[in-house]
Amino acid sequence: MKKVNLPLDGSRRWNGKQLAGGAILAFFAAAAFIGPLIAPYPKNDIEFEAWLTPSMKHLLGTDSYGQDVFSQLIYGTQTSFLVGVIAGFITTIIGVLVGLTAGFYRKWVSDALMFIVDLLLIIPVIALMIILASFLPSMGLTSIILVIGLLSWLYMARSIRSQTLSEKQRGYVEAARVVGMSNFEIMTKEILPNLFPIIAANLVSVTTQAVLAEAGLSFLGIGDPRSVSWGTILTLAHTNNAIMYDAWWWIIPPGIAIALFCYGFVLLGNGTLERFRAKRGAQQHFS
Amino acid sequence: MKIQLSYVVRRVVFAIATLIAAIIMNFLLPRLIGGDPAEMIASQTALGSAEVAEGLRKQFGLDNPSLIHQFGKYITQLLQGNLGISYFNYPVPVKDVLWNALPWTLGTVVIATLLSYAIGWLIGIKGALKPGSWFDNSALGVSFFINSVPYFWIGIMLIVIFAYKLDWFPLGQAISVDYDTLSPMGKVGSIVHHAVLPVLSLALASVASHILVLRNNLIRVLSEDYMVLARAKGLSARRRVFHYGIRNAFLPSFTGFMLSLGHVVGGAITMEIVFSYPGIGMLINNAILNHDYPLIQGAFLVIAVSIIAVNLIADLIYPFIDPRVNLN
Repeated sequence: MKKVNLPLDGSRRWNGKQLAGGAILAFFAAAAFIGPLIAPYPKNDIEFEAWLTPSMKHLLGTDSYGQDVFSQLIYGTQTSFLVGVIAGFITTIIGVLVGLTAGFYRKWVSDALMFIVDLLLIIPVIALMIILASFLPSMGLTSIILVIGLLSWLYMARSIRSQTLSEKQRGYVEAARVVGMSNFEIMTKEILPNLFPIIAANLVSVTTQAVLAEAGLSFLGIGDPRSVSWGTILTLAHTNNAIMYDAWWWIIPPGIAIALFCYGFVLLGNGTLERFRAKRGAQQHFS
Repeated sequence: MKIQLSYVVRRVVFAIATLIAAIIMNFLLPRLIGGDPAEMIASQTALGSAEVAEGLRKQFGLDNPSLIHQFGKYITQLLQGNLGISYFNYPVPVKDVLWNALPWTLGTVVIATLLSYAIGWLIGIKGALKPGSWFDNSALGVSFFINSVPYFWIGIMLIVIFAYKLDWFPLGQAISVDYDTLSPMGKVGSIVHHAVLPVLSLALASVASHILVLRNNLIRVLSEDYMVLARAKGLSARRRVFHYGIRNAFLPSFTGFMLSLGHVVGGAITMEIVFSYPGIGMLINNAILNHDYPLIQGAFLVIAVSIIAVNLIADLIYPFIDPRVNLN
């Protein structure tokens, strides 16, 4: 395996962006998994008066059903977190498999795979998701995760492929071949470790996209009506005319939560890429 | 500049292949997901009964279990322009429902796309000329923020500020209630007045990627050797940036246009729900809520066909912008 240790990288393992992004994500992870234990009120508790403005008793007021918005936001974190992370992970696995294969094998394998990717790239993913989701017999959290995870890998496959193409030109691949390594070994043991940073950066962006896709699908009326996510909170706020009731506490916090969560991932991704570039020189191709 | 015939043929063939793929997906997905779509539709709509299911089965060609037979029937109906009957708008054909909604979506998407390009490029160029300045940094910050929130949230915020608080624009809909009584000029005014916020929020939602792409490309181009040469030749900064820099930075931005179109359409779908705007997105939303399957499938097809068509047009314009694509 190729290791390059330039002094640029020696002093600090993590750069500021990675740390800040990591801290934001750690906060949300804590809110997702410990949050439900410390949330002020039980999930979907509707015992309060509707449209209460924020107070010490209800930090973010109540909605039209008389639910505590702050508590719902905490329960929603778990759903959005799970959708983002699991769907992002599924996407990444498919993206890496397709991208690596298409980049490594030339001729017809590559052509065929990229033809399929280009075809699918043109058809809007959201439309495909709508078709799939509306014909699925029931739409639980698992289906949402699968629909998003299985349909979002196209950009990633392209990006991994072009990086694989450039890695293939490097000396270490030739060396591995001379030593007698099989194609599979070269792909998994030699090229894959060198793709890691770009995979990480992509993982970040597909995770962000997954969270946004979940919100969008909820807003379209697709999804599990019983589950609570940032997307469903916003959807309910919109359908119940929160704007007319001046209920900013119901509209703004879920949006900010999504933005902050995604921003955490963006920071982590950009930080990882910067570190990668500093380490490997700036001749990488990203597309 | 001449477009090579082989290039045109390749792009047209690719567009047709995409169209066929979209049609096959539209046909196959509901059938793959399992169950009997006729049965499912019949059970989930108000029309539900054994006879309705039987009728639907006939209409879909499901009475014959052969997929090839069903596909033949589907294609025949499609070629006749028959997309079925919308359940929710019974007995209006899906084709007519879509046809009435399409101009609204097309109009807002096209204007919003042009607007977001214009704004995105201006901001991107200004940022790239002085990377790291406060203008550049705040443009980057805002762009990252916009890219991190759902499209529809931006729309809701614009409604809160400009329609609800300031009362400058209507809260939603595409025309005012008294539209039929208005003069022709008044009608246009009403349409424009109602379209401002939807177009603006759609443009705002997609402006971020244009800023980022153009800015990063221009910064890269400005450091290329030929820019150093241009400087050495004594060309003015203005000429260097506008004649050399932007022309080259523009190319990836144009490629990005084709890829971003799907995103814009996806954004338009949710945006129309926010503004109760009577386009394709609103139709899809109603169709989902009412299990109007023929309408959902029809809408998918319309979106796919529009995007494939726009892509083809962009592909055919591309050689005029970048003559190099003709070479390979």
